[in-house]
Formats: sequence, structure tokens, C-alpha cells
Amino acid sequence: MTNIAQARIKREFKEVVKSDEVAACNITLELVDDKYNELIGKIAGPPDTPYAEGTFCLEIRIPETYPFNPPIVKFLTKIWHPNISSVTGAICLDILKDQWAAAMTLRTVLLSLQALLAAAEPDDPQDAVVAQQYKENYSIFEKTAKHWTAVYAGGPKSCPELDSKITSLKNMGFDENQARAALSSKGWDIERATEYLIN
Amino acid sequence: MKVKIKSNWTAVASWRWIANDENCGICRMPFDGCCPDCKLPGDDCPLVWGQCSHCFHIHCIVKWLNSQQVHQLCPMCRQEWKFKE
Repeated sequence: MTNIAQARIKREFKEVVKSDEVAACNITLELVDDKYNELIGKIAGPPDTPYAEGTFCLEIRIPETYPFNPPIVKFLTKIWHPNISSVTGAICLDILKDQWAAAMTLRTVLLSLQALLAAAEPDDPQDAVVAQQYKENYSIFEKTAKHWTAVYAGGPKSCPELDSKITSLKNMGFDENQARAALSSKGWDIERATEYLIN
Repeated sequence: MKVKIKSNWTAVASWRWIANDENCGICRMPFDGCCPDCKLPGDDCPLVWGQCSHCFHIHCIVKWLNSQQVHQLCPMCRQEWKFKE
């Protein structure tokens, strides 16, 4: 890695570790190794959202051209959100693409992602299925997002009815995660989810 | 009165950049130091100002502007970058 990228990440890392947000357990940043080109970020789900009380892990890779190009960030924790792929964790956020500016930092990126959890942009989706559900049936979206937060991000237990639907698909021999994804995509309709899993 | 300096003497002076910030927003190194590609602060690694009043090491801002394909914007405020005369 070039001098500037590594030197900057070292300074940024210290900056985040000492920041108020870390003290308040809102964001954390960990180094994967001593090369300063791979980090793991964690953000707390914002209160009063379906992600509240969950902790979401992010993979952060620093390109050699940093800070002239943005860090490459994706969700490691599975999440149900219009701007994040429920399959790969890929994120659709302008500042991680063409709106990046060299004055932004890992701290501002983590805070922006936290803000994205509180304010989805369903008209600029990364996951079209989630975005459609968000626009057409918000209450199902909310229930699903809460359920995913409980299962994958350590959030509070939400709706036992959804758990029992997953169990019945599991009993039919389907993988739990696949059953969850299928039910989530098909509005928790067991018949349509089964049909989807078979095809 | 006549003063005679007998022994050798060395003049010492200190200087600082007058910037509105402590660190360069691009490399995040102190303005009193130089950008990560230089060894000595001073005239070889000067600061430059944009018309938006934001200030960077010249080497850092030039690298940023060269990395921008369409619009050349200030990395701080996203206004169009123009060097202050």
C-alpha cells in the first residue's frame, strides 16, 4: 500500500477509537491485521427503527489509492433494507461511489451508514425485492426487518408467528436461511415461498 | 556604542503556516508538517487555498483533482475548486 493510504488509516483509526461515538457504543472499528488495509466496522442500529438494538458488522477494504477513492464497504451481517443487498450485503450509497470526497473518513462513512439505516431510499434500491415491499407494504417490511435484526444482529425477539413459519419450511427439508429469505421475499406466504424454493 | 560580536553565532527563527485548520483534510497530516510524500515542510510542500477558503497541501489537492474525472470539487465543501490567486 502506498504511503499516504496507510498513514491516513493509522491516524483515522486512532481518531475513531478516541471519538465520542465509540464511547457511546454507536460505532466501533477494528483492524483485521497490522497492514491497515482491512478493517471491521460495527454500527448500532438506530433507535426507533426496525434495526434498533442490533449490531451490524461491516467489511471495510482500503484501496491503494485511498483517500482519492472511497473505501470498499459491505455488510457482513445479513440485513433487510432497500439499499443493501439481502444476499451479498452490497451497499448502494452515493458517498461510497461517485459522491466520495477525500475529506471524508472512516468515521463519517460509518455514521453515514448508520443514517442510511434510519432513512432508506427505496427509489434508489440495491435490493429491488426489499424496496418494493417497503413501498407497497410497509408493515410487512418493518416486521421482516425486525425479524432479520433479531436473528442476525442480536436484536430483540420480535414475532413468534414468523419463527413458526420458518420452522414449518425447515420441517419440509429446506435450509433455514433460504426459507427465511424466501418467506421474506414472498410476504410470509408459506405457499408462495415453497413454490419459490422448489423452482 | 560599538558592539563587536566575537564568536560565531547562529540565527534561529520559527515559522508557521497561517491556515484555518490544523490538519490537511486530505492526508490528515498537520499543516506544520508536510504531505506524506515529502520529507521537509516549507516551500517545497506549500499550502494552497481554494476560493471556497479551504486549504490543503498542494501535492494532496493536485492528486485529488487529478483523480476526479468530471467535476473538480473541493473535497471539503464540494464547491467547484478554483485556486485562490
